[in-house]
Amino acid sequence: MSEKLTQRTAWNRVLDKLSGRSLWMLHYCTGCGAIELPPTMTGRFDMERFGIHPMVTPRQADILLITGYLSVKTLKRVILTYEQMQSPKWVVGFGSCTINGGMYWNSYATVKSLDQYMPVELYIAGCMPRPEAIISSFNELIDRIGRGEANSWKDYYENYDFYRKNQEHVFGGPINTRTDVKSDKETFRIQSAGK
Amino acid sequence: MTNEQDIINRIEAAYPDAVCKKKQERRVEACLPPDRLFDFAGRMQSHWNFPHLSAISCVDWINEGEFELVYHFWSYEEKILVSAKIRIPREEARFISITELWQPAKFFERDIHEMFGVVFEGNDDLEKYILTEWEGPPPMRKDFVTRDFANRFYHFKEYEAEWMGPQQNPQAADVQGGSNE
Amino acid sequence: MSEVLERINRSFDEPEDEHDEVREYTLFIGPNHPGIEGNFALKLSLEGDTIVRAKTDGGYLHRGFEKLMEERLFMQNIAIVCRICVPDPDPNEENYARAVEAIAGIEVPERAKWIRVLVLELSRIASHLFTFGGHAGTIGLYTMPNWSIADRDRILDLFEELTGGRVYHIYNMPGGVRRDFPDGFERRVHEVMDYIESRLPDYDDLFFNNAILRKRAEGIGVLTSDQAIRWGATGPNLRAVGIPADLRRDDTYEVYDKLEFDIPTLTGGDALDRLLVRRKEIEESIRIVRQVVDNIPSGKVWNKQPNPLKWRVPAGDAYVRTESSKGEYAYYMVSDGGQRPYRVHVRGASTTHGVHILENLLVGTRIEDASQVMFSLDACPPEVDR
Repeated sequence: MSEKLTQRTAWNRVLDKLSGRSLWMLHYCTGCGAIELPPTMTGRFDMERFGIHPMVTPRQADILLITGYLSVKTLKRVILTYEQMQSPKWVVGFGSCTINGGMYWNSYATVKSLDQYMPVELYIAGCMPRPEAIISSFNELIDRIGRGEANSWKDYYENYDFYRKNQEHVFGGPINTRTDVKSDKETFRIQSAGK
Repeated sequence: MTNEQDIINRIEAAYPDAVCKKKQERRVEACLPPDRLFDFAGRMQSHWNFPHLSAISCVDWINEGEFELVYHFWSYEEKILVSAKIRIPREEARFISITELWQPAKFFERDIHEMFGVVFEGNDDLEKYILTEWEGPPPMRKDFVTRDFANRFYHFKEYEAEWMGPQQNPQAADVQGGSNE
Repeated sequence: MSEVLERINRSFDEPEDEHDEVREYTLFIGPNHPGIEGNFALKLSLEGDTIVRAKTDGGYLHRGFEKLMEERLFMQNIAIVCRICVPDPDPNEENYARAVEAIAGIEVPERAKWIRVLVLELSRIASHLFTFGGHAGTIGLYTMPNWSIADRDRILDLFEELTGGRVYHIYNMPGGVRRDFPDGFERRVHEVMDYIESRLPDYDDLFFNNAILRKRAEGIGVLTSDQAIRWGATGPNLRAVGIPADLRRDDTYEVYDKLEFDIPTLTGGDALDRLLVRRKEIEESIRIVRQVVDNIPSGKVWNKQPNPLKWRVPAGDAYVRTESSKGEYAYYMVSDGGQRPYRVHVRGASTTHGVHILENLLVGTRIEDASQVMFSLDACPPEVDR
C-alpha cells in the first residue's frame, strides 16, 4: 500500500483532498497560546469555515496543536495524547517557545524544541501568533495534505528510537505510554529510516 | 480607624524584641525572632483583627546562610498590611507551620517546601505539587542556576542548513552527553 | 415469578458491607478536558456521582518565572511578567512596575497613572467576557462564547492600537507607560464601551437569565462569608458572599481614589452569584473607563529612566497588590542593589481559589458540577503554577 501511496493514484488524490477538508483539532490547552484559540474558533475569525473544528478526545482528532511552551510535566501528557491519536496526524507547533524555547530559553522547567520529541508538521512563529496566523497556517496544512506532502507523522514510526531516546532523557527513565507504536508501524508498513 | 503608627506601637508593646517600621502608605514591616512568629500570627488573627493571610514569601539570603520568611497579613477594617519577617538558618531549614491558624497557608508552605526545601512542621501535606517530574535540587535556591541547567540538560535547536556545510559545534557534543542531574 | 421478585427484593435489602471496597472510586479529570479551565487536573474520590474528596493537580504550566526574573535585568523582566496570567496580563505589568517604583522611589506622571487605570479596567472587562464564554461552554450554551469572545476582540483591538499587542502588551514600565494615546483613541474607546454596554442586556437574555444556567449554577458550590474569609477568598469570589472588599478602594493605587465607582456585592455565595458579580463589575468598569477618558489630564507619560543596561535599583523590598479580575494579585519584590531583582514572589489571585477553596468546595457536589465550581471561582492555572 505504501508504494501506491507514494505513486498517488487518482483515488489517493481524491482521498487526500477530502481528508484535508475535514480536520478535527484536539482541544488541549498546553500553554498560554491557548488564549488565541477561542477567538479563532468563535464568531470573529471562525475557523470552522475551513472545516476545522475542536474535538475533545485524542482518538478522534487529526491535529495536535501545541499552544506554546511545554513543561516537562505537560510533555509527558502530550506524548501520551499524541500516541493515542490515530494516524495520519499532524502536530502544529504554535509560538516561538515550541521552536527554540522562546523567552523560556533558560527555564529549567520547559523543553526547548518540540521536534526532538515528536515530528512537527508546521511551526507558527511569534509570541503569540495572531488568529490570522493560525488560520493561515491551517490553510497551509490543508494545502499540504491535499498535495499529499504532509507526511511528517510517518517520521515518528521511522525514527521511533530517536524520539523515544529524547523523551526518556527528559523524564530520566523509561516511560510506558500504553500505545504499541511498533505494531502501528507494521499497520502502515513503514520502514525504519534511522536518524 | 487606626493608622500605621498605632499598629507599630501595638506590636512593639506586645513584642519588645520586634523591630517595626512604616515602609510606605498602609505597609508596616515587623522583624521578629523566629520563635515569636506563631504567637504573633495567632494574636494578629484573634486579637488584632487581621483575618487575611495574603501570602508567605521566602527569600534565600545565601551569603548570610539564611532563609527569610515573610508573612503578609491584611486587615479588612484597618486597611493595613503587616509584613512579619523572620530568619531561619539555611542548612536543613525547618520551621513551624501556621496551618492551624490559617488554612491558605497550607499551599503557600507547600510551595516554599517545593521551591526552597524548607520543612514546615505540622503541615500534613508537603508532597510535590508543581515539580512532580523534577529530581534536582529545589530550584528557587540561589545556588541552582537555571541557565546552566538548561544548557546542559535540554536539546537546543541546532541549525544545520545544507549550504552552511558540516558544522563543528562544541555545544552539540555536550548536549548529547547531558545527564539528568 | 414470586421467587424472582423475592430475590430482587432481597438483593436490595442486603447489607452494603459486601460492596464497601467498590463504593468509592477515584477519577482523574484533566489536563485534557473541556470542563477544566486551562491545563489543570483534578483527582476526585467519588461515591456514586458525589465527590467525597478532591485534590487538585497543577504544575502543568510551570515555567519558573520567579527564577527567570532573578536572572534578567530589571528592564528585561517587563517583557516576561505579563505571561504569568494569560487571560488578564495587565495586573502583572502593573504590579511589577509599581514594585520597582516603590523600591527605587520613581515618580510617575499623572497622565500615566490615568492611562494605567484605563488599561487595567479594559483588561478586566476582557477577562470577564472570556470567563463568561468558558463558563457557558461547559453547560452547552455555545452561542455565548461566540458572542462574548468576539466582543472581547473589540477590546483587544483597542489594546493593539494603544500598545501594539493584542494579548500581551508590555506597556506599563517603571516610570510610566510606553506611549501616549494615538489620535482619536478616546472616541474609539467610547464607541467600544457603548457597544459593550449595549450588549449586556443581550447577554442577560442569552446567558444570565437562561434557565439552563440558573438550574446548573444556582446553589452549587456555596461559600459562606465565614468560610470565604477563613479560606482566603479575594476579589469577586469574596464580594459574592456580601463582603464589599476591593483593593481598588481599600488599598488604593494609581488614581482609583479620584474615580467614582461602586463595588457590586451579592449575598448568595453560590456559583451563580459569583458569575453575576462579574457581570455587574463590567458595568462599573465601563463607568471607570468613561471617566478616565473624559477627565484624563494632559502631560507626559513617562519619566525617563537611566540606561536600562546599567540600571541599578537600590536595596529594599516592597509588597504591592492589584485587584485583578480574579482577585488579589500581589508581588513581593526584593532588590539587593543590583541590576537584577534578588527575589520576586508572585502571589497569583488563583493561588487560594484554585487550590484550597476549590478542593473544599468540590466536596459534596456532584461530578457534573465540578466545572461549574471551577469556572465560577475563575481559577486560572497559570497563576498557580507560575
